[in-house]
Amino acid sequence: MVIEAFQSERGAPAPAPRSTRVKDSVSYRVFAVVNILALLVICAIMLYPFIMLLAQSFSSAGAINAGKVNLLPVDFNVDTYKAVAQNGSFWRSYGNTVLYTVIGTTIAMVLTTTYAYVLSKRHLRGRGLLVGIAVFTMFFNGGIVPNYVLISSLGMKNTMWAVILPPALSVFNLLVMKAFFENLPGELEEAAQIDGLSWFGIFFRIVLPLSKAVIATMVLFYSVQYWNDWFSAFLYMDRSDLFPVTLFLRNLIAGASTATSEGAAASGSTVNAINANIQSVTMLLVLIPILCVYPFVQRYFVSGIMLGSVKG
Amino acid sequence: MTTSNIPPFITGRRSFVGLSAAAFATVAMTACSSGSSDEPVDVSTQNVGAMEGFAADTQFTASEPFEVSMLWTDWPDVPVKDSWRIFERIKELTNVDITLTHLPFSDATEKRNLLISAGDAPTVIPLVYTGEDAPFVSSGAVVPMSDYIEHMPNFQKYVQEWGLTEMIDNIRQADGKAYMLPGLQEVSVPVFSLVLRKDVFEAVAGGIPDSWDELREALLAIKEQYPDSTPLADGFEGQSMLNFASHAFGTKAGWGFGNGLVEGEDGKLAYAPTTEGYKQLVEYFRSLVADGLLDKESFTASNDGSGAADVSEKFAQELCFAASGSSGTAIEFAQALDETVGAGKHDVGLVPPPTGPAGSNVEPRNFWHGFMLSSSITGSENFLATIQFLDWLYYNPDAREMLRWGVQDETYTKAEDGTIALMDGYSLDDFDINTGAGTDIKIDLGFSTFPAESTESRALKESYSTPASIQYIDDVLTTRTPRDPYPPAPLDEAELEQSSLMATPLKDAVDTATLQFIMGDRDIAEWDAFLGELEAAGLQKYVDLINGARDRFAETVG
Repeated sequence: MVIEAFQSERGAPAPAPRSTRVKDSVSYRVFAVVNILALLVICAIMLYPFIMLLAQSFSSAGAINAGKVNLLPVDFNVDTYKAVAQNGSFWRSYGNTVLYTVIGTTIAMVLTTTYAYVLSKRHLRGRGLLVGIAVFTMFFNGGIVPNYVLISSLGMKNTMWAVILPPALSVFNLLVMKAFFENLPGELEEAAQIDGLSWFGIFFRIVLPLSKAVIATMVLFYSVQYWNDWFSAFLYMDRSDLFPVTLFLRNLIAGASTATSEGAAASGSTVNAINANIQSVTMLLVLIPILCVYPFVQRYFVSGIMLGSVKG
Repeated sequence: MTTSNIPPFITGRRSFVGLSAAAFATVAMTACSSGSSDEPVDVSTQNVGAMEGFAADTQFTASEPFEVSMLWTDWPDVPVKDSWRIFERIKELTNVDITLTHLPFSDATEKRNLLISAGDAPTVIPLVYTGEDAPFVSSGAVVPMSDYIEHMPNFQKYVQEWGLTEMIDNIRQADGKAYMLPGLQEVSVPVFSLVLRKDVFEAVAGGIPDSWDELREALLAIKEQYPDSTPLADGFEGQSMLNFASHAFGTKAGWGFGNGLVEGEDGKLAYAPTTEGYKQLVEYFRSLVADGLLDKESFTASNDGSGAADVSEKFAQELCFAASGSSGTAIEFAQALDETVGAGKHDVGLVPPPTGPAGSNVEPRNFWHGFMLSSSITGSENFLATIQFLDWLYYNPDAREMLRWGVQDETYTKAEDGTIALMDGYSLDDFDINTGAGTDIKIDLGFSTFPAESTESRALKESYSTPASIQYIDDVLTTRTPRDPYPPAPLDEAELEQSSLMATPLKDAVDTATLQFIMGDRDIAEWDAFLGELEAAGLQKYVDLINGARDRFAETVG
């Protein structure tokens, strides 16, 4: 809201004639140029790996190994894309990831918004305890093996719930959201109550529509988290047909480098190195969907975080 | 901000390794209290499915069908399929159904340790190398296999026939029992050695060098002929070359450094870098660097998975003529040279590791990976049958042939003289056999995967090797001597922890100084100062600890 106000001021029509415009000082112009240049350099540094990956994905493995590929593809071909497209395991893992991400994010959002809304009510008895329970888990946890035993005994091993439920409530997200809800004007809810809305009615019809920024941000956080997560699946899944694509990718990349390590080499147990172009295509295909989400959520992103983090 | 968004137990890999070690220790102790007994189980009462009169070289067929659960590593280039013919074939032959738990290859060891720690491991834990059973000894999480060897006739037969009895004694742990059974190899030769551009060596240096000194002379001659080249390289951070060179210098280095202890002069173990052999080794490579014969870059560039790829490029450009590698590396180099020099105009091959001041020593005979059994099986009615089944699967000659080649007269044929050939329509691309045929027996059917390489007779090994590899095996066996293995010094749980705390800083200091001396970044006159640094880092305490363990083991085993 602050930003919107700021933008509307800046965006207001400026009818003043050009001649009366105050000229920027020299130092400001120098600053602006340096600033733009610096941002361009940073932008280039950020983009470089992606462009290189893109170039590698269209190049031959030989050219990549020879270190010839930089920003432009060498020996341009789409054979690698065809090869990866025909790989059943890749698409099965990809489907798993989409499923885990969609269901996981949905569940996580339900849990986080409802818990955060409850915690944002200052008159709630035991509120401190509820916050404490959540915050406690930020600092202490049972460790890998006890968690593993817990998930196994709950019968969640080799099901998607093992991947979805344990990270479904991020305390960091919860606290950001709680702070956001606390900043909503109490009068709105009072007015709604007077008009006869129940707590659920207030939550769904007043609070949530006013919280698009923070919801969009949290959806982004959760979806990135689920999309990138390979570790839970690694721990709790024993069947490769349940693996998400990140675990598939990890096996492809980390596996190839492990293969040339001491143990494997000393024993003579070798693995055929996965070609660099196959690695690039797989990485790119894994990256693209989650990368596409950012532009749509970006406009909510800054305001969502800022409004949530500054109280009062 | 995104990092704090990660749930508490979703960790990075590095912290995960540390965590899993800590967690493992905890659960290992818990598991310990859950009743592991020193007394072997009486398997005769748990014999459902077991075969009467099971003997060596006979087919095992379970009297009643049963299931065996097994870990299976999911290789990135050979994704495991439950529909593989190999599992069906094993069932046809043995009446045993294998159920799999898949481990991603990238983190297979971590996941395996987690499953064992949590008491959730399947019955059979394959791909275990010697020594990897040590952390599980005190927990009782795995079965002491040495207690049940009497029920494994194939294992006993081939240990004896291939002269491995003494080596088997060496895999025992501090309590005198062996918790893993290794894959047996009738012949064992170093996988990594020198890959040479033989035609250039012959033309320029007058032949293939047999010793490290001859190699040096040959490299000097090549350098003179090709002034832009740096003729010797190692695409594995120097670890591979130092490893196979160290045996000829009477010491340990590189990949084979292990606990760093070698036989000392007074009958006690001594830390390798403090021996004269190690200094000679370092001085030798230092002189190669000083003369511009050794590619410094290849010794320092981190091996990010591309392995010898950079070196292969240098081979192709004729900037390098010798490097460490396996027979696979030799093929890779040859392919690169085909592109630049032209096919048929070069000769690249693996030669036995050169001899040195300590003679024609190469690494000691080696076991291959074997298996452990999860202790949950000791309560199973199929315990005896499972032991018999594994004895057949790992050590029976017919099973070994099946694991490698598939089904006779279906995927392969065997001539009367024992020559094996794949049938039409089947290929084994890994070894360039029938490449291009419709069905790859490894990727499509599951044969020739890791269990196939575990135990091999010489004939079976040669059945899929190229003539060049067979020649290499023969050359090593006829002209080199495997060094005697150092007597074992298994540590108990507390010592294991202590030793890893002490060994890491020592090893770091050794790695750094070795590289500095070789690269010429440190004056060799500072060698004594370096040894002083090791002393200050607690060397003596570490050596005493291992020597103590060795003496105790000698007393226990006798």
